[in-house]
Amino acid sequence: MHLGRYILRRLLVIPPMLVGITLLSFVLSHTVPSDPIAANLGDQAAANPVVVAAFRQRWGLDRPLPEQYGIYLWRLVHGDMGVSISTHQPVVMDLKQRLPATVELAIAALVISLVIGVPLGILSAVRRDSAIDQVARSVALVGVAMPVFWLGLVALLIFYARLGWAPSPGQLNPGSPRPPFITGFILVDALLWGRADVAKDALAHLVLPALVLASYSVGVITRMMRGSMLEVLGEDYVRTAHAKGLSRRIVTIRHAARNAALPVVTVVGLSFGALLSGAVITETVFAWTGLGSYAFSSATSLDFQAIMGVGTVVATVYVLVNLLVDVCYAALDPRIRFG
Amino acid sequence: MAVQAPTIPYAPRRTTRLLPRSFARSPLAIASLVVVAVWCAAALAASSLAPYGPLAQDIASRLAPPSPAHLLGTDPLGRDILSRILFGARLSIPVGVAAVVLALLLGTLIGGAAGALGGIVDEVLMRVTDLMLAFPTVILAMIISAALGAGIRNAVIAIMVAWWPSYARFVRGLVLSVREREYVEAARALGASPVRVFLRHVLLNTLSPLVILGTLDVGRAILTFASLSFLGLGPPPQIPEWGAMIAAGRDYLDEWWIATFPGLAILTLVLALNVVGDSLRDALDPRLRQQ
Repeated sequence: MHLGRYILRRLLVIPPMLVGITLLSFVLSHTVPSDPIAANLGDQAAANPVVVAAFRQRWGLDRPLPEQYGIYLWRLVHGDMGVSISTHQPVVMDLKQRLPATVELAIAALVISLVIGVPLGILSAVRRDSAIDQVARSVALVGVAMPVFWLGLVALLIFYARLGWAPSPGQLNPGSPRPPFITGFILVDALLWGRADVAKDALAHLVLPALVLASYSVGVITRMMRGSMLEVLGEDYVRTAHAKGLSRRIVTIRHAARNAALPVVTVVGLSFGALLSGAVITETVFAWTGLGSYAFSSATSLDFQAIMGVGTVVATVYVLVNLLVDVCYAALDPRIRFG
Repeated sequence: MAVQAPTIPYAPRRTTRLLPRSFARSPLAIASLVVVAVWCAAALAASSLAPYGPLAQDIASRLAPPSPAHLLGTDPLGRDILSRILFGARLSIPVGVAAVVLALLLGTLIGGAAGALGGIVDEVLMRVTDLMLAFPTVILAMIISAALGAGIRNAVIAIMVAWWPSYARFVRGLVLSVREREYVEAARALGASPVRVFLRHVLLNTLSPLVILGTLDVGRAILTFASLSFLGLGPPPQIPEWGAMIAAGRDYLDEWWIATFPGLAILTLVLALNVVGDSLRDALDPRLRQQ
């Protein structure tokens, strides 16, 4: 199959998937037994039937559920996710402000884990059972078992409170000006704004949380790369390459590592979901105003529009990232397209 | 002379051993098993091992660093951290196991139904499963448990709801492959009813990989529970819980012991559980290693 047709086929699956995601977000946020009226109005107002009726009408809670969903979907198509009951801002605006921080953190962590995990996995497979292999395997084991929120606190404790190497929690120093909103990623926006000092500040604030968050995915990627590399190193074509008299280095990198990296591409897509989840927790430790605090506050105040917005957007990001990963995989490995 | 039954010249070979051979040979696996056992024992004997009650406050020595009186120090309310960690094990271990068992049951039910019934049922159930899998688990669990209200039971429900889809998919795959085996066909040919074939021959044979997968996931469940609890979605603050104890240390960076020790508790237990799970899987069912 041609790559274009493969992509087209994968793209066709996306719209029904997105409708399903909105439906599921809707069902999840509406089957909850709690009452948004009590959560948002307080006892006194909730006892007043006039206030309650007005509240229900204002937020459309008096309509039948299928109708509420229909209205939601119709608005969504027009880029409107409704208004948050608690922030009184359009949900789209809230998400536009919050999502980039979380995604920026997740991407930074992903880059770090690839930069560390791939070479570490290769090295540990090539020098199997050596000291470096033991270290790599321990990193992988400990990384997966590590509570990120705890690692974040310990990192702050050591590098901020004790050593003073890391800046205070937050995305920028209190004195730094916030760059104008272009992409929403503070680091990128500062660069586009042409302020190297702000970019440097943003980068300094990004390093520690990203390293902390990467602890999990470094383990996963190292483990995957090691396993895949060990498999490939036993293949005939690797032996042939050796027999041809190619240097060990060239065989390892050109013949083995490039082929072994393929399964890792899939893991990247899958661990992006874990990274998003982890980013939500990590940002609470490092005082980032990202999606985590928003999801938390909207869920506790039963702010349906906001919860649905978070669910829809996060799931969509995840689905799109995995689409991208599948396309990369198909581009790299013709067997997928023809299989 | 009466003919005697021939005596067996050698002792019967022991066919069951406590641990698979490859497991028993790995020092790391054994050490991890010991760590898990120690944590379980600590949880069981918390009330006799803990030097203080989990709620006992000693206001005079609040925020005290580790000392002979309080081996791991005290928290902002003057409660002994060691005691609270021991009582915390009593909560985390059963919660982790319960969350996995419940998710496994729900996943088996749905995945089993999809695999056994096929057709439109399979299609609908699997599309729902796919959709659920599109939500990152912690965010899904967070939304559910925040909406249901904080609490131990709701946190377990949240983990169950977030996790069943991956089990459902796994069980469906197993059912589809087991269904085609010869012994299942034999049972069918012998006239066993479809229900009996499914329960006795198909489902029962998916059990062992499921148990291994479940063992592997208990550590992850404990970690997820601690995360929810750290976010304030776990038990109420007075109940000793590791994630909540770490959250309490957030505002006391100078009093490092408050957050450090509960974190080490989570790390050691989850690490040991993961190693035990991995080794069990490698020893019992090498096919799963590919996952």
